[in-house]
Amino acid sequence: MDIHMINPIYSLLQLCDSNFPSGAFSHSFGIETYIQEGAIHDKTSFQHALVLYIRKQLVFSDGLACALSYEAIDNGENGSLVEIDHLLYCSSLAQETRVGTRRMGERMAKLCLELYPSSILGDYVKWMKEKKVYGHPAIVFAIVAYGLSVGKKTAVGSYLFSTVSSLVQNGVRGIPLGQTDGQKMVLEIQPVIEEAVNRMAHLSIDDLGAVSPGLEIAQMRHERLHVRLFMS
Amino acid sequence: MDPKGSSIDWIRIMSPTGLLNLTVRRKGNKTIIANCYYEGALKVTRPVYLEEESPTIYLIHVGGGYVDGDHYSTHFLVEEGAEISVTTQSYTKVYKTPNHPVVQETSITLKADSLLEYMPDPLIAYEGARFVQHTEVHMEDGACFFYSDITTPGWSEGGAPFQYTSVRSKLKVYVGESLILFDHLFLEPKSGISGLMQMEQYTHMGTFIIIHKQADKNFGDRLYDHIQDHVDGGRIGISTLPVYGVIIRMFATDTRQLEKVIAFAHQYARKNLLRKSDLIFRK
Repeated sequence: MDIHMINPIYSLLQLCDSNFPSGAFSHSFGIETYIQEGAIHDKTSFQHALVLYIRKQLVFSDGLACALSYEAIDNGENGSLVEIDHLLYCSSLAQETRVGTRRMGERMAKLCLELYPSSILGDYVKWMKEKKVYGHPAIVFAIVAYGLSVGKKTAVGSYLFSTVSSLVQNGVRGIPLGQTDGQKMVLEIQPVIEEAVNRMAHLSIDDLGAVSPGLEIAQMRHERLHVRLFMS
Repeated sequence: MDPKGSSIDWIRIMSPTGLLNLTVRRKGNKTIIANCYYEGALKVTRPVYLEEESPTIYLIHVGGGYVDGDHYSTHFLVEEGAEISVTTQSYTKVYKTPNHPVVQETSITLKADSLLEYMPDPLIAYEGARFVQHTEVHMEDGACFFYSDITTPGWSEGGAPFQYTSVRSKLKVYVGESLILFDHLFLEPKSGISGLMQMEQYTHMGTFIIIHKQADKNFGDRLYDHIQDHVDGGRIGISTLPVYGVIIRMFATDTRQLEKVIAFAHQYARKNLLRKSDLIFRK
């Protein structure tokens, strides 16, 4: 399809749709541990957890990686994507979450290369094949969003939104919660996403990977849960 | 890109508060100290041979603890086939840092088939303390690295825990040219530390890392099974690192709970990966 025919808003809606086959549907990234232990059990406790997940985890990991990748491409420093990719992969200390995220990254990169081909995305997929990078959805999202000429803030905010909205869908199934409560949460979380995007403007690559230790332990413990709905 | 971060650039123009350069070498069956240079507030003991063939050294801080603006720089070079264990003589105490954080930089090079057991005592961060720790490890093929890290809040006048300002710790491990582990912890009590996903209801945190070619998922699973009997309170997670290696991360309400688990994991790894008997530091 001719790039000039593409409406970036429709494309963002497509990428952020929870039906977009990235694999996010199968991962709770440690949240299921808290559900099984009872710490997350209703709308209020889940919403509280999501706020912390955005403020304390996404801001320093996936979100910041998306922002830094966007900046790197914008500055013509595509080589920095390799460093960001390695720092992200190696700072994910729970194997299940690390491997799951990598599979999502691979899947999303290959799919997006079909839908929104660009030389940068082509390079990233090539580097994955050459085992020069691991593959991460945040980096793929930044590359595609940059290609669609949406601004950095919109790109990073949309990425956070899609991550949160997938998690809400998974929470609705896992806790379980009503669909209406789930959709209310997706709406009510908007200011927290905005705050996170603004916060990231003041962060640098030195802040990348400063993850939440409790969540890390929850992700590690997920690997040893007996009955699981999610792969992480 | 500068892995150390621009925030501590100012300190590079000053001479460090303490400096230590240590090189160990294998001579026949035995490891010897080939070179040891220290200045300022850092010192080391003479090597103690708790095991016949490999020495243990104890790091000593000459003052009572780390204070405002201190900068420590340590380099360990463990040559091919050499084996050493390193610990401290007492807890590392970080006091109030009103102007500049305390910065501790450690660089470690492990040549082929060498071993470093890096088991310092816990860090106590007191009220108003800011502590930045950067540790970078470069390993060659066949090298083995054990790393222990315990962070505890110090006593404060009000008696409440978490009166320190911040602790930032970055550990990067490379095998050959590739990064295999980046453990980045940033604890800042004022921005909320007791909540879900942070330190939950706990106050003390411990990490034990085992980097060895045979420390795979299977090893991690066996360690997890055996360690359960030694978990006496607290919350523990164990997982497998990229490429190889196993990590234990644990929360507790006191230092003893963490030390018990880490001591067990240490001896378990020595026995199952290195065929070595227990190593008990004399302090």
